[in-house]
Amino acid sequence: MEIFFQVLIDGLVIGAFYSLIALGYTMVYGIIKLLNFAHGDLYMIGAFVGFTLLSLFTGDGGVNTGILGLGVVFIGTMIIVGFLGMGIERIAYRPLLLAPRLSILITAIGVSLSLEYSSMIGWGASYKVYPIKLPNDGIQLLGTQISFAQMGMIVLSALLMLGLRLFIDKTIYGKAMRAIALDQTACSLMGVNVHRIIALTFFIGAFLAAGAGIMSGIYYGTINFLMGFTIGLKAFTAAVLGGIGNITGAMLGGLVLGILEAFGTFYMGGSWKDVLAFGILILFLVFKPTGILGAKEMERM
Amino acid sequence: MKRYSIVTIGFILFLSLLLSACSSDSSSGGKNSGSEILVGVLLPVTGNNATDGKDMLNAMEMAVEKINNDGGVLDKKLKLEVADDACDPQTATAAANKLVSKKVVAVVGGYCSGSTLPASGVFHNANIPMIVAAANSSELPEQGYDSLFLINGLVPDQAKTGADYFNDKGAKNIVLIHDNSAYAKNLADFAQKSVEENGGKVIGFEAINPEEKDFGSLMTKLKSLNPDGTYFTGYYAAGGLMLKQFKEKGVPGFFMVGDGSYSPDIISIAGAENANDLLVTATPTANFIPGAEAFVEEYKSKYDLSPGPFSALSNNGVNLLADALKRAESTEFEALKKALKDTKGFEGIGQVIEFSEQNTLSQSNFHIMKVVNGEFTLEK
Amino acid sequence: MKKYKKPSLFLLVICMFILPFLLNSYWLDVLTLVLFYVVLTQGLNIVVGYTGLLDLGYAAFFAVGAYTTAILMTTFHWSFWLTLPVAFLFAAIAGVIIGTPTLRLRSDYLAIVTLGFGEIVKILATNLEITGSASGIYGIPRPAIGSYIMASQKDFYFLILIVAIISIIAVYRLGHSRIGRAWVYIREDEDAAEAMGINRIKLKLLSYATGAVIGSFAGSIFAVKMSAIAPLSFSFLQSVMILLAVVLGGLGSIPGVVIGAALVIILPELLRGVEDWRYLIFGVSLVIMMIFRPQGIWPTKNNTEDVDDIETEDPNQSISISK
Repeated sequence: MEIFFQVLIDGLVIGAFYSLIALGYTMVYGIIKLLNFAHGDLYMIGAFVGFTLLSLFTGDGGVNTGILGLGVVFIGTMIIVGFLGMGIERIAYRPLLLAPRLSILITAIGVSLSLEYSSMIGWGASYKVYPIKLPNDGIQLLGTQISFAQMGMIVLSALLMLGLRLFIDKTIYGKAMRAIALDQTACSLMGVNVHRIIALTFFIGAFLAAGAGIMSGIYYGTINFLMGFTIGLKAFTAAVLGGIGNITGAMLGGLVLGILEAFGTFYMGGSWKDVLAFGILILFLVFKPTGILGAKEMERM
Repeated sequence: MKRYSIVTIGFILFLSLLLSACSSDSSSGGKNSGSEILVGVLLPVTGNNATDGKDMLNAMEMAVEKINNDGGVLDKKLKLEVADDACDPQTATAAANKLVSKKVVAVVGGYCSGSTLPASGVFHNANIPMIVAAANSSELPEQGYDSLFLINGLVPDQAKTGADYFNDKGAKNIVLIHDNSAYAKNLADFAQKSVEENGGKVIGFEAINPEEKDFGSLMTKLKSLNPDGTYFTGYYAAGGLMLKQFKEKGVPGFFMVGDGSYSPDIISIAGAENANDLLVTATPTANFIPGAEAFVEEYKSKYDLSPGPFSALSNNGVNLLADALKRAESTEFEALKKALKDTKGFEGIGQVIEFSEQNTLSQSNFHIMKVVNGEFTLEK
Repeated sequence: MKKYKKPSLFLLVICMFILPFLLNSYWLDVLTLVLFYVVLTQGLNIVVGYTGLLDLGYAAFFAVGAYTTAILMTTFHWSFWLTLPVAFLFAAIAGVIIGTPTLRLRSDYLAIVTLGFGEIVKILATNLEITGSASGIYGIPRPAIGSYIMASQKDFYFLILIVAIISIIAVYRLGHSRIGRAWVYIREDEDAAEAMGINRIKLKLLSYATGAVIGSFAGSIFAVKMSAIAPLSFSFLQSVMILLAVVLGGLGSIPGVVIGAALVIILPELLRGVEDWRYLIFGVSLVIMMIFRPQGIWPTKNNTEDVDDIETEDPNQSISISK
């Protein structure tokens, strides 16, 4: 039983990362039906910008940043990368809003390559070690061992997701986003500045991905310029699993995928866990294409 | 009609581009054969393994500079022609063909076994001898190419070194983990064989994806298996993260890694406190080789960093080639191949090179290294 | 226009046969790779270009061909030529297996399912013993014609050149046949096509199977040409590159995808001199290309507009942001 809980916790930690990244995918898809393949790379950029800011703050990689400094770095990174996300939308995607879906997909791949290799040129190809080290200690709970770092990661991502939930539900911008997802033309007729709302969506998506990136850097300790690719693919799977376009679904999908992978590793071995993840994805798409939380039954996607 | 004329023009442009590319190549090739001997270098200088690749290249350049300052070989200067294989089989084949078209007399290099395997086939077909400095999967000599020479110890020897150490320390229940690369899988398979020959038991045989970061549930599994020793056969980027999470989860037993993880980076990634007592099966770096102080000093002053795990071997590779060229008194394939094959007691940094039937080292040079206070030390 | 078409095509084919005698081995290798991509893109062109089914896991079929040939030749010592029909059969079966569950799906969801299948095939190849697990299969023998053993670069160049010409002709003829027109009809309006009596299910599966067979043809030759294959060659990135070639060149356009194949292979090679920068330049030029010429370099002649909206906006398809 302890092992069951331990694996569950392991899965929750990785699932939290998937959720945060999946949110960006799902919001962008919900609004303009774009599979933003470059989204995973914003996570990577977030990790690198955070790395640079932290190194600046702490001189040559000292440990005593303090909670306040860390908080400043966090917010700063997320805002910088958020604007980068907006810039990408403005330059690469907006001219293509009415173009066929395939060309916009190819554009996304192009953006992804550009981000990856510009950070390779900027920061180098080798692994960078984060200037902060988290302590190993934690607490015992139900016979499982949870480190403070793990708890922090889960709580932080829960807070970010809760914040987003409130933003979408309670603010006028959130309302506009939901409206655009339903009918873009009607929205612009009703006086909603559609472009601005789309830009805002990209900002938030990138903002959250950057948060996940810097968290990953601190938690795991290393970053490199290709780190966004696989996790982007997984987060994308999570978004679909939860029902793409659905915010709560993305959060849930990320956690479910993380837990599935953890149990897959434990019972089937690490090399087969991806088969499990993709197999479930395919089954879902074929039998319930709207995902776990998709209420509306759609005839033919 | 307009469209076809455009295509024709485009095609002619394309053709002339190709032709100019090939003609410029051949002209430069002709010039080189006059005063220089071109030596091909096949290494990952981009991608995840670029750090080690560049260390190896530095060491080769040092060797070439020294040889040329001493008057060169056969009254000519050596010149390196580098091709990037990025540790990817397909890129490696293209890179190998590029070297072939540059008419190199021999190739030194080969870091990842997965990319060296197909590349060695290209060189074999083109009658170009290859000295493999780092890659050491047992599949390389199994191909039976008589012009392929390996100067790093082979995987079976490395596996045995690790398994014997576990055995000496009374560690009987062993977990093996590889990263799904050709080399790591090969090493894990042989380690299983050696552990079982020693009367031990392999209680877990796991695989990870090299780009993964989270080994939480794998470490939970390991902990429940309660191993006496864990041997990770992949590369350092994953190795460092795994070591860190191994310690965080409190998995019992030794943690050992193969020579793919033999890099100072594994210590900085895992953190010095987690890396203590880490064991490595590897051929010692120049730092630990008696008589290599001069090499280490020169390397440090030249590149402002310590030599990497395969720097000494790479340096030896170029020197061995120069030596063989002198003995062959020719750059011609058969003569050079024979000279390499006949190498007797060639003294490189930390190793004496002689080849067995299969063109592998007749004597392996694997040791156990141990991390003490954040530094590698020679354990056994 | 017709008048110019034939001679220039003829000239091109002649040039292609003369080229290997003028090129050095590096450029010959690059050109051979281009021809592999020509074959692959023709196969994918049927699925994506003609039928309008987005496929992000096409490298899986390439892998099926390569592994079938490699296993039959190394473990069972078959002749290369005998492995081809078996590879085709397996690829067609794989095509139907991937095709069947996706019949109901459209657009992006289809892309994800094919992506998942592609990854699963790669993971299977990495883990199964029969496919040589991580290190793949090496020491694949050379094919022989009578007593002549094909071993040189030129032999394989000519082999893949002939296959490329065959597949171009086959795809061209298919596209202009009843079947091809039915595919395009399905792409333009699936429901209307069905109402007109087109068997949607049968034709979609046929499209997948044909595309798969062409892909596996390239794979079989890839196996004997490289003489060593590894799972790394069949990654997601490979699928993306093939798709890239098709879209860059112009969906459904045969000369277009040929140019696309050449660009995708040659551009990064030309940029080899600038090592670190080459993928960045590649990525940026993709974006620029899509913004200024989204229909591809050489789109199909009269129905460029039609190709533009393969993904017709379906009112039922919009998904809301909701709880």
